[in-house]
Amino acid sequence: MTDNTFNIAIAGNPNCGKTTIFNQLTGAHQRVGNWPGVTVERKSGHYSFADVRFDTIDLPGSYSLSAFSAEEKIVRQYLMDDAPDVVVNVIDASNLERNLFLTTQLIELGRPMVIALNMMDMADEKGLSIDMDTFATLLGAPVVPVVGRTGQGIDLLKEKILRVATDISGKSRQLNIPYARDIESELDKICELFDTTEGDPHFTRWKAIKLLESDRETRNEVRQMKAGNEILSIAEQGVARIESIYNDTGRAVISHARYGFIQGAIRECVTEDLSVASDYSRQIDRILTNRWLGLPIFALFMWIMFKLTYDLGSLPMDWIDAGVVALMQFLSGILPDSMFSSLLVEGMIGGVGAIAVFLPNIFILFFIIAALEDSGYMARVAFIMDRIMHNIGLHGKAFIPMIMGFGCNVPAIMGTRILESRRDRILTILINPFMSCSARLPVYILVAGAFFPEHAATVIFSMYILGVLVAIASGKLFSKTILRGMSKPFVLELPPYQRPTLKSLVLHTWERGYVFIEKMGTVILVGSILVWVLGYFPQEVELERDYSNDKQTIQQVYSQKIDALDLKFQESLENSEQEYHSEMIPYTESKSYQDLEQQYSALKQSILSEQKEALYQVRMEEISEITEQKWIGRIGKFIEPLVAPLGFSWRESVALITGFVAKEIVVSTYGVLFGVGEDVNEENQGVISSLRSSGMTPLVALGFLVFTLLYTPCLATVAAIKRETGTWSYTLFSVVYSVSLAYTLALGINYFGGMFGWFS
Amino acid sequence: MFNRRQKKRPGHQLTEENRTGLRLSDLRPGETGRIVEVGGSDQFRLRLIEMGLTRNAEIAVDKYAPLLDPMELIVMGYHLSIRAQDAEKIVVKRIDR
Ligand SMILES: Nc1nc2c(ncn2[C@@H]2O[C@H](COP(=O)(O)OP(=O)(O)OP(=O)(O)O)[C@@H](O)[C@H]2O)c(=O)[nH]1
Repeated sequence: MTDNTFNIAIAGNPNCGKTTIFNQLTGAHQRVGNWPGVTVERKSGHYSFADVRFDTIDLPGSYSLSAFSAEEKIVRQYLMDDAPDVVVNVIDASNLERNLFLTTQLIELGRPMVIALNMMDMADEKGLSIDMDTFATLLGAPVVPVVGRTGQGIDLLKEKILRVATDISGKSRQLNIPYARDIESELDKICELFDTTEGDPHFTRWKAIKLLESDRETRNEVRQMKAGNEILSIAEQGVARIESIYNDTGRAVISHARYGFIQGAIRECVTEDLSVASDYSRQIDRILTNRWLGLPIFALFMWIMFKLTYDLGSLPMDWIDAGVVALMQFLSGILPDSMFSSLLVEGMIGGVGAIAVFLPNIFILFFIIAALEDSGYMARVAFIMDRIMHNIGLHGKAFIPMIMGFGCNVPAIMGTRILESRRDRILTILINPFMSCSARLPVYILVAGAFFPEHAATVIFSMYILGVLVAIASGKLFSKTILRGMSKPFVLELPPYQRPTLKSLVLHTWERGYVFIEKMGTVILVGSILVWVLGYFPQEVELERDYSNDKQTIQQVYSQKIDALDLKFQESLENSEQEYHSEMIPYTESKSYQDLEQQYSALKQSILSEQKEALYQVRMEEISEITEQKWIGRIGKFIEPLVAPLGFSWRESVALITGFVAKEIVVSTYGVLFGVGEDVNEENQGVISSLRSSGMTPLVALGFLVFTLLYTPCLATVAAIKRETGTWSYTLFSVVYSVSLAYTLALGINYFGGMFGWFS
Repeated sequence: MFNRRQKKRPGHQLTEENRTGLRLSDLRPGETGRIVEVGGSDQFRLRLIEMGLTRNAEIAVDKYAPLLDPMELIVMGYHLSIRAQDAEKIVVKRIDR
């Protein structure tokens, strides 16, 4: 730390407005990252005030420092190990009592502190008036009333932070939360031992308190010390004495005492004007979480969310699509035909472009989710859906990422951050890929359209239902086996409703959307290049059939046919002209002439289209043979025996492998395999008829659909799982689990279907 | 790789006289109670106490969720939701208004 830089940390309860204050302080100078090893967001930034630089960190929201949740552990570790110069404790003034609980612990930690009394507007609405001076004296720290939303009071806050940071004699505000005499005497006994051993005297009282709370981390720490065992045994005796006096655990007794202190402070400084008091959130909730209306309204919101995501997103989606195609055409126009241009245009731009079209949907989805979160409705979703999610051992909030999964699993998996417990997060991440994302739909439409033209909609819908059922069953299975018994008790705050500010919505949307963009630039780019390489090499392939000869033959045959037709037409014309006698109208305008001409052009048209069809057939067979010789085809052939029990051919295995990069690619891979060109869409008749004539039966098609539904959605999802679980083991587990499940079910369908003669 | 199973701890046993007492889950929406004792696992109790459900704290049952499970409470002026199965571990005294 240089002379003119201070580290400050912002701490407070969830939803007290920390991030808002952080944004007000640092403005645009911020970075979002992750805390090492966990997927809790870490926001840091800096600002300057009076020529002094303040490096600021926004700690995760936490109700206390008891280190139960990942967030609490981070806050505690940061405050103790990194020892920030000033702790800015943000307090929601409209919910003082609960917010002050964390404050008492921060006071005990003894870092220099400034209290930002936020949400003063809401406190006024509630009819609360607070005597700031007395409050500051009682808490032993300057108190600054602020309104995070408007920025009111932020300058004063900066000033106070500066003053506390530069106050060398800072130790003056060493204030203790007073406990009952029995507890104080135990604390004294422990502190005495500490003073004679090593360790930071600063934390002595804090550690003594934590020992009386039987705090595991502190005990481990103390055990390392020289007099550790002695201290621990004295502490244990103390705990036993307290427990026998109060008939409760040391932890509970101390927490009670903290609330005692808080209630005393509030009695002294806060007056409430009950005539003003209103609880508007409660009025809103009379409707939004109403016994009868709650669920329909929630369903409506979800429907609107999807509608907006897809309908609003489809417009820019078309633009991006058109832009990508135009760019590809432009580049292949100006670049000489070479390996490089193919790599650039088809490999990189085509591959990334295929995913880029989803950007609008993803940003819109994130925006809506941010609005639901910022408004406070998300907590109500957890409230409404908890009953259902509890069935699979999850928290109500886990419902949201599940719904998001229908759109795209990548943001959905990132969305599991709203869950507090790591176990819930991992469980939700592991079952999320079974929610059928929008990228799988083109595959369903293509295959179901080809093999179940009458019942395509039913088949597609069943895929969605099957996905949900598999997710539920897997959730149950995991929560009974690998992830059992670690669920956090359900204790959920329902914060007051707030009108979200556009600024914070945009910020939230951007922060999350950016991660997706980053992924496109890395994982998806690499994957696309890989698929391109597999499809491009070896450049020279030996073909058994002489396709150009065949094409020439076809051309010859058809031009002969056309010549014959021309000849016949001339003859008929001559014949008819001789029979023509009218003088009034010239022959070329007569009805018989026109009839003949029409007949002729119709015949010629049909010959030409027949020729086109025949050439196309040859071209398709050629590309198919070429692809078979490329690495991608060879891999397909190599794997064929593995998927043969499912009834899949080498084409299916290639499609599934490339589908690993992104499910949409399955469709375009079929396009390549059948030689219909890259830009097939789901209505493409060419692929549909080729699929039908490829020897695939409806039964195998069904197995293929189920396989597509269940196996790992795409590389981006795998990357997201890795990122969010933080370990390769869960990532690999997810891949292996879903692929084996997909294989087993597809095998079952093929086996039992064959036995009972379904769809034969 | 996967998390080890946690040891089952006995948690807090309710005292004799409270064992048959009225529970938070027995209160109907709109009723208010005063907390007598909180049972259950250490972690659960501590979390509740930290959230302000201390002995003698006043607690109002606002409503139940549409599917009748988690319940919404009002404590110290803010809204909190817990599951009915957990509310069963909280002994209360009804306050008549
Ligand atoms: N009325 C009012 N609302 C505020 C004020 N400050 C923040 N908010 C709103 O309170 C909500 C929560 O603010 P955040 O800054 O996200 O809170 P946080 O503490 O960072 O929340 P977590 O990230 O969940 O821990 C947002 O909707 C803000 O717009 C304020 O002074 N007055």
